[in-house]
Amino acid sequence: MSHLIDGKPGSRHLLMGNEAIARGALEAGVKVAAGYPGTPSSEIIENLASVSADRNLYVEWSVNEKVAMEVTAAASFAGLRSLCVMKQNGVNVASDFLLHLAGSGTRGGIVIVPCDDPGALSSANEGESRHFARLVEIPLLEPGDFQEAKDIIKWAFELSEEVRNPVMVRSVTRLSHASGNVTFGDLPIPDATAYFKHDGPPLDPMQGVMLSYPVAIKHQRQQQKLQQAIKRFEQSPFNTYSGPQDPGLLVIASSACYLYCKEAIHLLGVNKRVGLLKLGTTWPLPARLIERHLTGCEKILVVEEVLPFLEEEVKILAAELARKIGIKTFYGKKDGSLPMVGELNPDLVVAALSNILGVNYEAVPEIYAGRAAELARAAAPVRDLTFCPGCPHRASFWSIHSALQLDNRQGFVCGDIGCYSLAMLPSGYSTLKTLHSMGSGTGLASGFGKLDRYGMAQPAVAVSGDSTFFHAVLPALVNAVHNNSNFLLVVLDNSGTAMTGFQSHPGLPTDAAGNMAPGIDIPTVCEAIGAKVVVCDPFDLQQTQQTMLRLLEDKDSVSVLVLKQICALSPEKKAKKTYEMKVEQTICLGENCGCNRLCTRVFKCPGLNWDKDKRVSRIDEVICAGCGVCASICPAGAITKQEVS
Amino acid sequence: MENTALLCDPYNVIITGVGGQGNVMASRVLGHMLSYKGLQVTIGETFGASQRGGSVMSHLRISKASAWSPQIPKGKAHMVIALEPIEALRVLAVYGNPNTRVLCNIRPIQPVSVISGDSDYPSPEFLEQGIAELTENAWFVNVTNAAAKIGNPIFGNIMMIGALAAVGNLPLNREDFKATISRTMASDKVEENLSAYDMGVQMIHS
Amino acid sequence: MRVFGSQELFEDVVSHDLCIGCGACVNLCPYYKSYKGKTARIFPCDISKGRCYAYCPKAEVDLDELTKEIWNRPYDGSPLGNYRQILASRAGKKMQKGLFQAGGTVSALVTFALKNSMIDGATLTGREELTPVPHLVTDWQDAAKYASSKFMAAPTLAAVNGAVAKGYNRLGVVATPCQATAVAQMRLNPLADKDFADPVALTIGLFCNWSLGTRQLTELISQKLDIAGIAGMYIPPPPAGIMILETADGRVEIPLSEIKPLIPSTCFICPDMTSEFSDVSVGMLEGRRGWNTLIIRSEKGADLVENADRKGYLETEELPQKTVAHLSRAAGEKKARALRILIRRDLVNNGEGRRSAVRIPPQIVKKILNQS
Repeated sequence: MSHLIDGKPGSRHLLMGNEAIARGALEAGVKVAAGYPGTPSSEIIENLASVSADRNLYVEWSVNEKVAMEVTAAASFAGLRSLCVMKQNGVNVASDFLLHLAGSGTRGGIVIVPCDDPGALSSANEGESRHFARLVEIPLLEPGDFQEAKDIIKWAFELSEEVRNPVMVRSVTRLSHASGNVTFGDLPIPDATAYFKHDGPPLDPMQGVMLSYPVAIKHQRQQQKLQQAIKRFEQSPFNTYSGPQDPGLLVIASSACYLYCKEAIHLLGVNKRVGLLKLGTTWPLPARLIERHLTGCEKILVVEEVLPFLEEEVKILAAELARKIGIKTFYGKKDGSLPMVGELNPDLVVAALSNILGVNYEAVPEIYAGRAAELARAAAPVRDLTFCPGCPHRASFWSIHSALQLDNRQGFVCGDIGCYSLAMLPSGYSTLKTLHSMGSGTGLASGFGKLDRYGMAQPAVAVSGDSTFFHAVLPALVNAVHNNSNFLLVVLDNSGTAMTGFQSHPGLPTDAAGNMAPGIDIPTVCEAIGAKVVVCDPFDLQQTQQTMLRLLEDKDSVSVLVLKQICALSPEKKAKKTYEMKVEQTICLGENCGCNRLCTRVFKCPGLNWDKDKRVSRIDEVICAGCGVCASICPAGAITKQEVS
Repeated sequence: MENTALLCDPYNVIITGVGGQGNVMASRVLGHMLSYKGLQVTIGETFGASQRGGSVMSHLRISKASAWSPQIPKGKAHMVIALEPIEALRVLAVYGNPNTRVLCNIRPIQPVSVISGDSDYPSPEFLEQGIAELTENAWFVNVTNAAAKIGNPIFGNIMMIGALAAVGNLPLNREDFKATISRTMASDKVEENLSAYDMGVQMIHS
Repeated sequence: MRVFGSQELFEDVVSHDLCIGCGACVNLCPYYKSYKGKTARIFPCDISKGRCYAYCPKAEVDLDELTKEIWNRPYDGSPLGNYRQILASRAGKKMQKGLFQAGGTVSALVTFALKNSMIDGATLTGREELTPVPHLVTDWQDAAKYASSKFMAAPTLAAVNGAVAKGYNRLGVVATPCQATAVAQMRLNPLADKDFADPVALTIGLFCNWSLGTRQLTELISQKLDIAGIAGMYIPPPPAGIMILETADGRVEIPLSEIKPLIPSTCFICPDMTSEFSDVSVGMLEGRRGWNTLIIRSEKGADLVENADRKGYLETEELPQKTVAHLSRAAGEKKARALRILIRRDLVNNGEGRRSAVRIPPQIVKKILNQS
């Protein structure tokens, strides 16, 4: 990705939002960047890692977001500009430290970039990071387009150094993963000296100690910092207005919603009636700016994702200013103009505007819409998510599910976060019976494993990926062993953080920048903690199932079964078939076998197709990854594998 | 600067297919080609979980004026480039209108539900008829076969770009393509890709 | 016989705790498997009619149909079922002495049948620790190794299905009553397979009043002693009230009051004490340790007993009428008890659209209930 540093100042590029943010960090002279992979944020660290040698940056994939923020904070204390990147859930993980960091204050600018996922396109929740800014009381910024995504970072660093506190810049999927035109600025000279001054007067923010204590004094200072931020916000170039002087309806929007509103106003042709106030500084709100805009209108529509955060803040201001500006009518989430859940889009904003303004809008003639929907229903079967061809998780969950059924005690699997979360779906044999946050599968299983005294005879199983293991499973495993819990942890080790793009993690021998690094061995760690450990190849179905059955019967300890097999999408593995697979047409009896199409109906690998004409199974050579597992599935032995030389 | 006239502003293109087909790559190449001519391009993508065999879309907004919503509004697609035929129908159901044009690769990729026998994959005739009914113009090509013949499925996307240029609704040409890919690829790769591009053009002209 | 599929089998039998783990549905397909004494469904199957349901002795067993097919007469609900003769028997001089718990009749008959090629294989039940394990035995010298009762429901029929798939077509099966019922249904070719040939040449049934769940028994006994050291298990006839375990360290007694709670509830719906659908049936002979009760039912069974006796593999004696009457009364009581529970649980003779475990002609139901 060296295009991020190739372009001259003033040159114009088509960049992904995350690339714009990375370029913004480079233009701001960031020296340290840390994060944990999480869609839609991962490309920021990846891009910075790819130029880290050229720009003398330290870039780290930390074990989790809490540690990432601590690493970032260290750089800040030592006077360097640093960037911490995560998806929305990551702020939850880092929040305890962030709370205290906001108390202790910072030195070198520190910008936290959470990338939220409204609509949960790649998440198991659509929680938001914005509320954390208010909770821990730090300034919050939200870029509204791609140029702003770059420019706002430098502004955020300047603000952070002025108030000596972290600044949150919140992005969303539809900015981070969308692309738009960005004009580059200057790149500073990449030099820096790190020094943590700590022996001056203790309460001196630049020379003393970095504590959130004494709390009364530090919290008071935090309030002053916020007031200072508000002063800057009143003049910020990231709050823009377009529209008539005194609009009948004022739309207040932030983040990607700005683009939806712009589009909606254009579609309805109401740009002479509607004003669009785009806020880039969204907490704390610049009261004078808001007051100016509220004065000139009667109705206000607030457009944001996901919860009515901005809407509530504006309403509070409006209540405080009511005597001055009069009573206003508000539209947004709370009155049902916009949905309370899911992501927004131009059509939802159009519907809200239509309603408020009494303007009709038909996107497409009704007849066409009806016919198109009918054809799609008839001819476009849904594409369920599934594991990739050759994915070791398919084999692992086949074995886990089968073993639990054979064991026959209504055992269950507590799931965790990663590609293997797909095991909650039929293509993963609906194996997962709980799914929450990183590391929670093991924590839950640790709890279930103590309930035998109340008559619980069901074996509990937890699954975890190799990256998840280091992120959050370790403390839960320690808890389980120390408290004599009884369950089986299956670590699905596919040698990478696969779901988010195959980033490295502490279990691997490389770091974020691709350099050699000590890899920490999972089986050794588990044994040191005191668990019973076995390692198997998930592609060996029989061995895996027999081992699992044996471990499930162990009522005394915490067992760890490491299923080690590399991800099908990993750079080492990609496109290299181990086996050439074939369904012997003379042996496969199709529906006459009595197997009820075990391979295509149940196993469901995309590389195995059901030939509706010949009524037998066949391999799709283009899609088949050649892992060989299906050869063990067919009860008639009709699937053969031949090693590729 | 050459002609950068647009039939509509913004001109809306959807590239759709199945996760893993190279959707994103195609949208990037196209986006860069147009951006390089001084046009403003906004691209919206679906990443992450949808790549695991799910339906994916890239929405491209091409404009002289500004950036636009990364999601095209309902019924506002001018051009749909489908790397897989049932995805064309799926996209038209939400974003199509009677004036939409479609460039469609007809090689099916069976969803897991079809593979497992839970649903049926429609016949090619039904698909072509349905798509034709919902559009002003539809071009059907088989870039998967052609790309397999020259050794890599990913060339299918390049062929679609060539075909799109040949359709003529956007200010695209071979020089723009060559300039764009030369910036990121080695010269031997450039030649391969140019051949694929030319094959795509041929598919429309023949 | 009304035949349904895997899904109905799961709903009717597995989900309602009626499964006895006999193995009749195991090894026919990838979906039903047996593990540590319990039958498990690995994945759902949507085939509408399957051998799994057809063979299952707890699903749509039509006793009248079975009796007509096997014995050429209607089901009359008589306590001991169809038979020609009841004798006392024990292993003959040709069989090695001292191996047997009771009379050794079963081992003698199996050994003889294998040695004289009446059967091409015998499905017997062995034991690994306390878990019963089915074996296909082809060498007559191995037959006696599997002697002695296991008292636990065993998936023996899984071995039958496996043997049939391998091409064995003159099998000898040693079966409990539920297993013998399943074998009888198997032999009827319930799915009207054109290429069907009856693979079972001989069924030796066992007497059974109840059996024990493998996993529960293993857990109970493991708490008392090391199960690896168990050489033999025996439950003497009443009034002893104990289970005896022979171990390396001597004899351990467990009161039946601790054992009886481990009887699977499905045993209580079983109306068959003496394996009414076998060629011969063998059980204990109360009051005569070292001898068995032998019921001869079919012509094939009669021939087998006569030849084995003549050749010295079996010894037989007359049985006093009082003994037969006593046996008949016990069997009749089990039948009636089972029928009452079947009726209470709504599992017998259900009308259109509802499945049953057992079908018996209504007048026979009355007769059984009255004769107890």
